Amino acid sequence: MSGEEEENAAELKIGDEFLKAKCLMNCEVSLILEHKYEQLQQTSDDPMNQVSQVFEKSLQYVKRFSRYKNPDAVRQVREILARYQLAEFELCVLGNLCPETVEEAIAMVPSIKTRGRAQDDEAIEKMLTDLSLIKKFE
Amino acid sequence: MFLKVQLPWNVIISAENLQPESLMLQRAIVIRLLGDFAVKKATKDLGYYLAVMTLEKVGEGKVRLHTGDVLFPVVFNAVTFKIFKGEILEGVVHKVLKHGVFMRCGPIENVYLSNMKMPDYRYVHGENPCFMNEKMSKIGKDVVVRFMVIGTKWMEAEREFQALVSLEGDYLGPIVSPNI
Repeated sequence: MSGEEEENAAELKIGDEFLKAKCLMNCEVSLILEHKYEQLQQTSDDPMNQVSQVFEKSLQYVKRFSRYKNPDAVRQVREILARYQLAEFELCVLGNLCPETVEEAIAMVPSIKTRGRAQDDEAIEKMLTDLSLIKKFE
Repeated sequence: MFLKVQLPWNVIISAENLQPESLMLQRAIVIRLLGDFAVKKATKDLGYYLAVMTLEKVGEGKVRLHTGDVLFPVVFNAVTFKIFKGEILEGVVHKVLKHGVFMRCGPIENVYLSNMKMPDYRYVHGENPCFMNEKMSKIGKDVVVRFMVIGTKWMEAEREFQALVSLEGDYLGPIVSPNI
Protein backbone atom coordinates (compact mmCIF):
# COMPACT_ATOMS: atom_id res chain seq x y z
CA MET A 1 0.00 0.00 0.00
CA SER A 2 1.39 3.32 -0.95
CA GLY A 3 -1.51 5.62 -0.07
CA GLU A 4 -2.61 6.65 3.38
CA GLU A 5 -6.08 5.35 2.73
CA GLU A 6 -6.78 2.04 4.39
CA GLU A 7 -6.73 -1.05 2.21
CA ASN A 8 -10.14 -2.49 1.45
CA ALA A 9 -10.52 -4.79 -1.53
CA ALA A 10 -14.32 -4.69 -1.22
CA GLU A 11 -14.18 -1.02 -2.23
CA LEU A 12 -11.35 -1.71 -4.65
CA LYS A 13 -8.88 0.18 -2.46
CA ILE A 14 -5.85 -2.00 -2.98
CA GLY A 15 -3.24 0.58 -3.86
CA ASP A 16 -2.60 2.02 -7.30
CA GLU A 17 0.24 -0.33 -8.11
CA PHE A 18 -2.07 -3.34 -7.63
CA LEU A 19 -5.06 -1.75 -9.31
CA LYS A 20 -2.99 -1.53 -12.48
CA ALA A 21 -1.23 -4.87 -12.00
CA LYS A 22 -2.43 -7.83 -13.93
CA CYS A 23 -4.31 -10.24 -11.70
CA LEU A 24 -4.57 -13.93 -12.51
CA MET A 25 -7.48 -16.28 -11.90
CA ASN A 26 -6.86 -19.56 -10.07
CA CYS A 27 -7.45 -21.49 -13.30
CA GLU A 28 -4.84 -19.37 -15.14
CA VAL A 29 -2.28 -19.87 -12.38
CA SER A 30 -3.02 -23.59 -12.46
CA LEU A 31 -2.14 -23.76 -16.16
CA ILE A 32 1.08 -21.78 -15.61
CA LEU A 33 2.26 -23.83 -12.63
CA GLU A 34 1.34 -27.18 -14.15
CA HIS A 35 3.25 -26.28 -17.29
CA LYS A 36 6.29 -25.34 -15.16
CA TYR A 37 6.00 -28.59 -13.30
CA GLU A 38 5.85 -30.63 -16.50
CA GLN A 39 8.99 -28.91 -17.74
CA LEU A 40 10.74 -29.90 -14.52
CA GLN A 41 9.58 -33.49 -14.86
CA GLN A 42 11.40 -33.70 -18.17
CA THR A 43 14.68 -32.53 -16.73
CA SER A 44 14.60 -34.06 -13.28
CA ASP A 45 13.78 -37.44 -11.71
CA ASP A 46 12.38 -35.91 -8.59
CA PRO A 47 10.61 -32.71 -9.67
CA MET A 48 8.82 -32.14 -6.34
CA ASN A 49 12.23 -31.80 -4.75
CA GLN A 50 13.14 -29.08 -7.22
CA VAL A 51 10.32 -26.69 -6.42
CA SER A 52 9.90 -24.36 -3.47
CA GLN A 53 7.28 -24.97 -0.78
CA VAL A 54 5.49 -21.84 -1.96
CA PHE A 55 5.22 -23.38 -5.43
CA GLU A 56 4.04 -26.74 -4.11
CA LYS A 57 1.35 -25.33 -1.82
CA SER A 58 0.12 -22.94 -4.49
CA LEU A 59 -0.07 -25.69 -7.10
CA GLN A 60 -2.17 -27.85 -4.77
CA TYR A 61 -4.43 -24.91 -4.04
CA VAL A 62 -5.07 -23.79 -7.61
CA LYS A 63 -5.66 -27.37 -8.76
CA ARG A 64 -8.39 -27.69 -6.17
CA PHE A 65 -9.87 -24.22 -6.66
CA SER A 66 -9.93 -23.92 -10.43
CA ARG A 67 -13.48 -23.84 -11.76
CA TYR A 68 -12.27 -24.31 -15.31
CA LYS A 69 -9.62 -26.81 -16.33
CA ASN A 70 -9.53 -26.75 -20.10
CA PRO A 71 -7.20 -24.02 -21.49
CA ASP A 72 -9.78 -22.91 -24.08
CA ALA A 73 -12.42 -22.49 -21.40
CA VAL A 74 -9.98 -20.53 -19.24
CA ARG A 75 -9.29 -18.16 -22.14
CA GLN A 76 -13.02 -17.74 -22.85
CA VAL A 77 -13.77 -16.89 -19.22
CA ARG A 78 -11.36 -13.99 -19.37
CA GLU A 79 -12.73 -12.87 -22.74
CA ILE A 80 -16.29 -12.82 -21.47
CA LEU A 81 -15.48 -11.03 -18.24
CA ALA A 82 -13.34 -8.49 -20.12
CA ARG A 83 -16.48 -7.23 -21.90
CA TYR A 84 -17.87 -5.76 -18.69
CA GLN A 85 -15.42 -2.94 -17.86
CA LEU A 86 -14.29 -4.66 -14.70
CA ALA A 87 -11.07 -3.92 -12.87
CA GLU A 88 -8.55 -6.77 -13.10
CA PHE A 89 -9.12 -7.55 -9.45
CA GLU A 90 -12.90 -7.76 -9.82
CA LEU A 91 -12.63 -9.88 -12.95
CA CYS A 92 -10.52 -12.47 -11.15
CA VAL A 93 -12.69 -12.62 -8.02
CA LEU A 94 -15.71 -13.37 -10.24
CA GLY A 95 -13.78 -15.95 -12.25
CA ASN A 96 -12.56 -17.64 -9.06
CA LEU A 97 -15.77 -17.73 -7.08
CA CYS A 98 -18.27 -18.18 -9.93
CA PRO A 99 -21.30 -16.67 -8.18
CA GLU A 100 -24.61 -18.13 -9.26
CA THR A 101 -26.91 -15.18 -8.72
CA VAL A 102 -26.69 -11.41 -9.19
CA GLU A 103 -27.08 -10.94 -5.46
CA GLU A 104 -24.18 -13.29 -4.77
CA ALA A 105 -22.00 -11.58 -7.39
CA ILE A 106 -22.56 -8.21 -5.73
CA ALA A 107 -21.81 -9.68 -2.30
CA MET A 108 -18.52 -11.10 -3.64
CA VAL A 109 -17.52 -7.91 -5.50
CA PRO A 110 -19.37 -4.99 -3.86
CA SER A 111 -17.29 -2.50 -5.87
CA ILE A 112 -19.06 -3.39 -9.12
CA LYS A 113 -22.08 -1.52 -7.78
CA THR A 114 -20.36 1.34 -6.00
CA ARG A 115 -17.94 2.66 -8.56
CA GLY A 116 -20.61 4.51 -10.48
CA ARG A 117 -20.14 2.40 -13.56
CA ALA A 118 -23.82 1.59 -13.53
CA GLN A 119 -23.39 -2.14 -13.95
CA ASP A 120 -27.06 -2.92 -14.01
CA ASP A 121 -28.45 -6.18 -12.74
CA GLU A 122 -29.32 -7.34 -16.23
CA ALA A 123 -25.73 -6.97 -17.41
CA ILE A 124 -24.49 -8.92 -14.39
CA GLU A 125 -27.13 -11.60 -14.99
CA LYS A 126 -26.01 -11.95 -18.61
CA MET A 127 -22.38 -12.23 -17.54
CA LEU A 128 -23.18 -15.02 -15.06
CA THR A 129 -25.24 -16.90 -17.65
CA ASP A 130 -22.38 -16.72 -20.15
CA LEU A 131 -19.95 -18.00 -17.55
CA SER A 132 -22.18 -20.91 -16.58
CA LEU A 133 -22.47 -21.85 -20.25
CA ILE A 134 -18.70 -22.22 -20.53
CA LYS A 135 -18.72 -24.48 -17.51
CA LYS A 136 -21.48 -26.59 -19.01
CA PHE A 137 -19.74 -27.11 -22.33
CA GLU A 138 -16.26 -27.54 -20.98
CA MET B 1 -5.10 -12.68 -5.32
CA PHE B 2 -2.55 -14.05 -7.75
CA LEU B 3 -0.65 -11.29 -9.52
CA LYS B 4 1.51 -11.13 -12.60
CA VAL B 5 4.37 -8.77 -11.85
CA GLN B 6 7.39 -7.52 -13.75
CA LEU B 7 10.56 -7.33 -11.68
CA PRO B 8 13.96 -5.79 -12.32
CA TRP B 9 16.68 -7.73 -10.49
CA ASN B 10 20.42 -8.12 -10.52
CA VAL B 11 21.88 -11.56 -11.07
CA ILE B 12 25.48 -12.22 -10.09
CA ILE B 13 27.47 -14.81 -11.99
CA SER B 14 30.74 -15.81 -10.37
CA ALA B 15 33.89 -15.64 -12.41
CA GLU B 16 34.32 -19.43 -12.67
CA ASN B 17 30.88 -19.78 -14.25
CA LEU B 18 31.68 -17.31 -16.98
CA GLN B 19 32.22 -19.02 -20.31
CA PRO B 20 32.75 -17.54 -23.69
CA GLU B 21 29.81 -19.38 -25.28
CA SER B 22 26.86 -17.06 -24.92
CA LEU B 23 24.36 -19.90 -24.63
CA MET B 24 26.08 -21.19 -21.51
CA LEU B 25 26.03 -17.72 -20.05
CA GLN B 26 22.32 -17.32 -20.69
CA ARG B 27 21.77 -20.67 -18.99
CA ALA B 28 23.87 -19.68 -16.00
CA ILE B 29 21.85 -16.47 -15.63
CA VAL B 30 18.51 -18.33 -15.76
CA ILE B 31 19.64 -20.96 -13.25
CA ARG B 32 20.93 -18.32 -10.88
CA LEU B 33 17.74 -16.26 -11.24
CA LEU B 34 15.50 -19.26 -10.51
CA GLY B 35 17.59 -20.12 -7.46
CA ASP B 36 17.52 -16.57 -6.08
CA PHE B 37 13.79 -16.37 -6.76
CA ALA B 38 12.96 -19.57 -4.85
CA VAL B 39 15.04 -18.48 -1.85
CA LYS B 40 13.33 -15.10 -1.67
CA LYS B 41 10.02 -16.78 -0.68
CA ALA B 42 8.00 -13.59 -0.18
CA THR B 43 8.13 -9.83 0.27
CA LYS B 44 5.83 -7.52 2.17
CA ASP B 45 4.89 -5.57 -0.95
CA LEU B 46 4.30 -8.27 -3.54
CA GLY B 47 3.49 -11.28 -1.39
CA TYR B 48 4.64 -14.84 -2.02
CA TYR B 49 6.92 -15.54 -4.97
CA LEU B 50 5.50 -18.53 -6.88
CA ALA B 51 7.23 -18.88 -10.21
CA VAL B 52 9.20 -17.08 -12.88
CA MET B 53 7.18 -16.93 -16.09
CA THR B 54 9.43 -15.30 -18.67
CA LEU B 55 12.81 -13.62 -18.78
CA GLU B 56 12.24 -10.37 -20.66
CA LYS B 57 15.63 -8.74 -20.80
CA VAL B 58 19.23 -9.32 -19.85
CA GLY B 59 21.25 -6.14 -19.69
CA GLU B 60 24.95 -5.65 -20.11
CA GLY B 61 27.08 -7.26 -17.44
CA LYS B 62 29.22 -5.17 -15.12
CA VAL B 63 32.38 -6.62 -13.63
CA ARG B 64 32.64 -6.17 -9.89
CA LEU B 65 36.03 -4.85 -9.00
CA HIS B 66 37.21 -7.00 -6.13
CA THR B 67 35.72 -10.40 -6.90
CA GLY B 68 35.68 -10.48 -10.67
CA ASP B 69 32.05 -11.63 -10.58
CA VAL B 70 29.76 -10.18 -13.18
CA LEU B 71 26.48 -8.52 -12.31
CA PHE B 72 23.71 -8.69 -14.91
CA PRO B 73 20.60 -6.53 -14.65
CA VAL B 74 17.59 -8.62 -15.71
CA VAL B 75 13.87 -7.97 -16.12
CA PHE B 76 11.43 -10.86 -15.79
CA ASN B 77 7.75 -11.66 -15.30
CA ALA B 78 6.64 -13.69 -12.32
CA VAL B 79 3.52 -14.88 -10.51
CA THR B 80 3.01 -13.83 -6.89
CA PHE B 81 0.21 -14.25 -4.36
CA LYS B 82 -0.80 -11.39 -2.11
CA ILE B 83 -3.69 -11.36 0.31
CA PHE B 84 -5.71 -8.13 0.58
CA LYS B 85 -7.92 -6.85 3.35
CA GLY B 86 -11.54 -6.94 2.16
CA GLU B 87 -10.87 -9.72 -0.32
CA ILE B 88 -13.13 -12.77 -0.46
CA LEU B 89 -11.33 -16.09 -0.81
CA GLU B 90 -11.75 -19.79 -0.23
CA GLY B 91 -9.53 -21.90 2.00
CA VAL B 92 -9.28 -25.38 3.51
CA VAL B 93 -9.42 -25.98 7.29
CA HIS B 94 -6.33 -27.81 8.60
CA LYS B 95 -6.59 -27.29 12.36
CA VAL B 96 -9.56 -26.95 14.70
CA LEU B 97 -9.06 -25.28 18.09
CA LYS B 98 -11.57 -24.31 20.78
CA HIS B 99 -11.45 -20.66 19.84
CA GLY B 100 -11.36 -20.95 16.08
CA VAL B 101 -9.90 -22.72 13.07
CA PHE B 102 -6.76 -22.37 10.95
CA MET B 103 -7.03 -22.62 7.19
CA ARG B 104 -4.71 -22.89 4.22
CA CYS B 105 -5.19 -20.54 1.34
CA GLY B 106 -2.72 -20.65 -1.52
CA PRO B 107 0.79 -20.56 -0.05
CA ILE B 108 -0.50 -19.14 3.26
CA GLU B 109 -0.70 -21.63 6.14
CA ASN B 110 -2.04 -19.39 8.86
CA VAL B 111 -5.44 -18.01 7.94
CA TYR B 112 -7.28 -17.72 11.24
CA LEU B 113 -11.04 -17.70 11.64
CA SER B 114 -11.92 -16.88 15.24
CA ASN B 115 -15.09 -18.14 16.89
CA MET B 116 -15.96 -14.47 17.45
CA LYS B 117 -16.11 -13.99 13.68
CA MET B 118 -18.49 -16.90 13.14
CA PRO B 119 -21.02 -15.98 15.82
CA ASP B 120 -23.72 -18.56 14.98
CA TYR B 121 -21.26 -21.47 15.18
CA ARG B 122 -20.58 -23.44 18.37
CA TYR B 123 -17.59 -25.60 19.18
CA VAL B 124 -18.39 -29.33 19.26
CA HIS B 125 -16.09 -31.65 21.26
CA GLY B 126 -15.11 -35.08 20.06
CA GLU B 127 -12.52 -37.13 18.29
CA ASN B 128 -12.88 -34.81 15.31
CA PRO B 129 -13.77 -31.49 16.89
CA CYS B 130 -15.59 -29.00 14.71
CA PHE B 131 -17.81 -25.93 14.72
CA MET B 132 -21.49 -26.28 13.94
CA ASN B 133 -24.46 -23.94 13.66
CA GLU B 134 -28.18 -24.54 14.17
CA LYS B 135 -28.68 -25.49 10.55
CA MET B 136 -26.10 -28.27 11.10
CA SER B 137 -23.67 -26.54 8.80
CA LYS B 138 -20.24 -27.82 9.84
CA ILE B 139 -16.73 -26.36 9.83
CA GLY B 140 -14.19 -29.10 10.53
CA LYS B 141 -10.91 -30.42 9.21
CA ASP B 142 -10.64 -30.46 5.39
CA VAL B 143 -13.82 -28.42 4.93
CA VAL B 144 -13.71 -25.67 2.30
CA VAL B 145 -14.76 -22.28 3.68
CA ARG B 146 -15.44 -19.02 1.87
CA PHE B 147 -14.40 -16.03 3.99
CA MET B 148 -13.61 -12.33 3.96
CA VAL B 149 -10.15 -11.09 4.94
CA ILE B 150 -10.34 -8.54 7.79
CA GLY B 151 -6.65 -8.17 8.57
CA THR B 152 -3.25 -9.20 7.28
CA LYS B 153 0.14 -9.23 8.95
CA TRP B 154 3.63 -9.56 7.49
CA MET B 155 6.04 -11.55 9.68
CA GLU B 156 9.47 -10.28 8.71
CA ALA B 157 11.49 -13.00 10.48
CA GLU B 158 9.62 -15.90 8.86
CA ARG B 159 8.94 -14.06 5.60
CA GLU B 160 5.32 -15.11 5.89
CA PHE B 161 1.88 -13.56 5.99
CA GLN B 162 -0.85 -14.25 8.49
CA ALA B 163 -4.46 -13.33 7.93
CA LEU B 164 -7.53 -12.85 10.10
CA VAL B 165 -10.79 -13.68 8.40
CA SER B 166 -14.51 -13.49 9.09
CA LEU B 167 -17.76 -15.16 8.08
CA GLU B 168 -19.81 -12.04 8.85
CA GLY B 169 -21.37 -11.25 5.49
CA ASP B 170 -23.66 -12.73 2.86
CA TYR B 171 -22.69 -15.88 0.99
CA LEU B 172 -19.79 -16.69 3.32
CA GLY B 173 -19.27 -19.97 5.16
CA PRO B 174 -18.54 -23.64 4.53
CA ILE B 175 -19.09 -24.82 0.99
CA VAL B 176 -21.25 -27.90 1.13
CA SER B 177 -21.08 -29.37 -2.33
CA PRO B 178 -17.87 -28.24 -3.97
CA ASN B 179 -18.79 -28.11 -7.64
CA ILE B 180 -15.12 -27.96 -8.53
